[in-house]
Amino acid sequence: MTATPTTTALALAPARRARAGHSGLMRGFTTPSAIVGIVLIVIIFGAGLLAPLISPYSPTAQGPDAFLPPSGTHWLGTDEYGRDLLSRVIYGARQDLIVGVIAVPIGAVVGTLLGTIGVATKWLDVIIQRFFDVTLAFTGLVMGVTVAAIIGPGLAAVLITVSFVNVPLFGRLARNTVRSLRSRDYVTAARIVGAPPLRVLFRHVLPNALDSLIVQAALSFSLAVFIEGAMSFVGIGVRPPDPSLGSLLRTSITFLSRSPLYAVAPMVVVTALVLAFNLVGDGLNKGLLKR
Amino acid sequence: MFRYTLRRLPSAVVVLFVASVVIFFILRLAPGDPAAALAGPDASTATVQAIRHQLGLDQPLITQYLIWLRGILSGDLGNSYILHAPIAQLISESLMNTTELAIGALVFAIVGGGLIGYFQGIAKRRASQATLSALTSFGIAIPTYVTGVLLILLFAVGWRVLPAGGIGPGIRDFSLGWQYLLMPAIALSLPTGATIARFLSASMRQTLDQDFVQTGIAKGIRPSRLMIGHVVPNSLPPVLTVLGIQIGQLFGGAIIVETIFAWPGIGQLLLQAVTGRDYLLTQDLLLIAVLVFIVVQLITDIVDAAMDPRIRLERA
Repeated sequence: MTATPTTTALALAPARRARAGHSGLMRGFTTPSAIVGIVLIVIIFGAGLLAPLISPYSPTAQGPDAFLPPSGTHWLGTDEYGRDLLSRVIYGARQDLIVGVIAVPIGAVVGTLLGTIGVATKWLDVIIQRFFDVTLAFTGLVMGVTVAAIIGPGLAAVLITVSFVNVPLFGRLARNTVRSLRSRDYVTAARIVGAPPLRVLFRHVLPNALDSLIVQAALSFSLAVFIEGAMSFVGIGVRPPDPSLGSLLRTSITFLSRSPLYAVAPMVVVTALVLAFNLVGDGLNKGLLKR
Repeated sequence: MFRYTLRRLPSAVVVLFVASVVIFFILRLAPGDPAAALAGPDASTATVQAIRHQLGLDQPLITQYLIWLRGILSGDLGNSYILHAPIAQLISESLMNTTELAIGALVFAIVGGGLIGYFQGIAKRRASQATLSALTSFGIAIPTYVTGVLLILLFAVGWRVLPAGGIGPGIRDFSLGWQYLLMPAIALSLPTGATIARFLSASMRQTLDQDFVQTGIAKGIRPSRLMIGHVVPNSLPPVLTVLGIQIGQLFGGAIIVETIFAWPGIGQLLLQAVTGRDYLLTQDLLLIAVLVFIVVQLITDIVDAAMDPRIRLERA
């Protein structure tokens, strides 16, 4: 690594911009909507993370009493196999945590890399753009069905689907942002002092494109929760007896008149989670991107 | 205009072609032998071979792919080996049902979303603005499977006014069929309607800031005429773009809504095909899903270009 040629470029601007970005992040996180979102996410994902410690029962342990009404021992009552509903909802939220934490970063990193590399090399860009076009044509659940048709239903199918769906989202965004930043003075400065093109892109341009990628990440988490729920709902996601908010909701339809709470509990949690990430996304958008 | 369409067409065709290749070859990677599955566990090797030959599965993959393409172009799609019926017939029937659902949803989305967006756009008081904006944020966030189940809970279980599922007589007897259509269409319309409302109101606010609006007011034009004749039309382009994206994604929503309401449409058929490992049916339906997205995208781009010469004349 030759550090000397690029120090000039570094000194020209990014440091100041990085600080501005940081305060923008704080400003975004402290908007009222973002605070509501963060509180909801901490509660729901916190419960999911600590599920083995805080859930009162095993989510798959069957009991003698089906459809118990809410009580001190079963806060939300029990389901058709006498399983504790609260425990199943908590473990259901855990699935979304798993999908969000694993699949969104994979999609984000792969997408951002492809999008950024495309800017540097013309011929690769054409291929990568077409690749994005094709992946985009498999919208959310259609991608889910395709993946499930190939590897079979299950959590793995959900993880792959969410990763793939996110690749073009981050890829296009990274490409557009990087392209628009390329004409900035500090980039020209870095190029003039002889920094290799890829180094300019990844060390100087990409860090300054992070703001919009962070906003996209919040929205992608919301999409991940939606897709996990949808795939499990239509029967190609998380397999029984493991609980997922989507499959809980699907099973509850059969018992709506008998036990409305069976449906309402996963409904509230999944809606709160999707809404929460959208709120954080909106807040970050205001803090980071709008001046 | 025609030139723009001509320039935009090749990339759409390329995407469709690549998607067809991906769908075809990647499905062949799936474990399991459809011929063996169809023959049943007790079948002899000879029977399995015969079925494989009958389905054309003993041909080289490239040949199979070309046969598939020829079938699509000639309308002969073969038989579904799980539903024992001609695929073309299965698809056309369920496609009709899904189209009914999609049109119903679009009507609700455009009318409802348009009205809410309009009032959000002209709202002056902070409170009403914030309420409508919260409403649209909620409408965008709430997943279709939640709305659907909630509607059943409210209108079929709690207050028994609508049927919980099925298509009923459909469009053949719409005086009865609309009752079956109402809840699925509303469930499917919600995210689209809320998105329309959000984009329309944002776009109207920008338009209202422009000089020609002041000119209109200064010339004493009636407020209603100013809004309907000038502000709304000038606010439409971004709304149409987002509407195109939403329509392209309607297929995914239809899979969910059809599952909730037992609506015998194309989404249900796709799920049956995937869980029953029916390659032929699955690949046809996936191709349709991708085709719908690409065609709607293309139409959206062309409409955008028709409205905005800057897009049309840009050298790509």
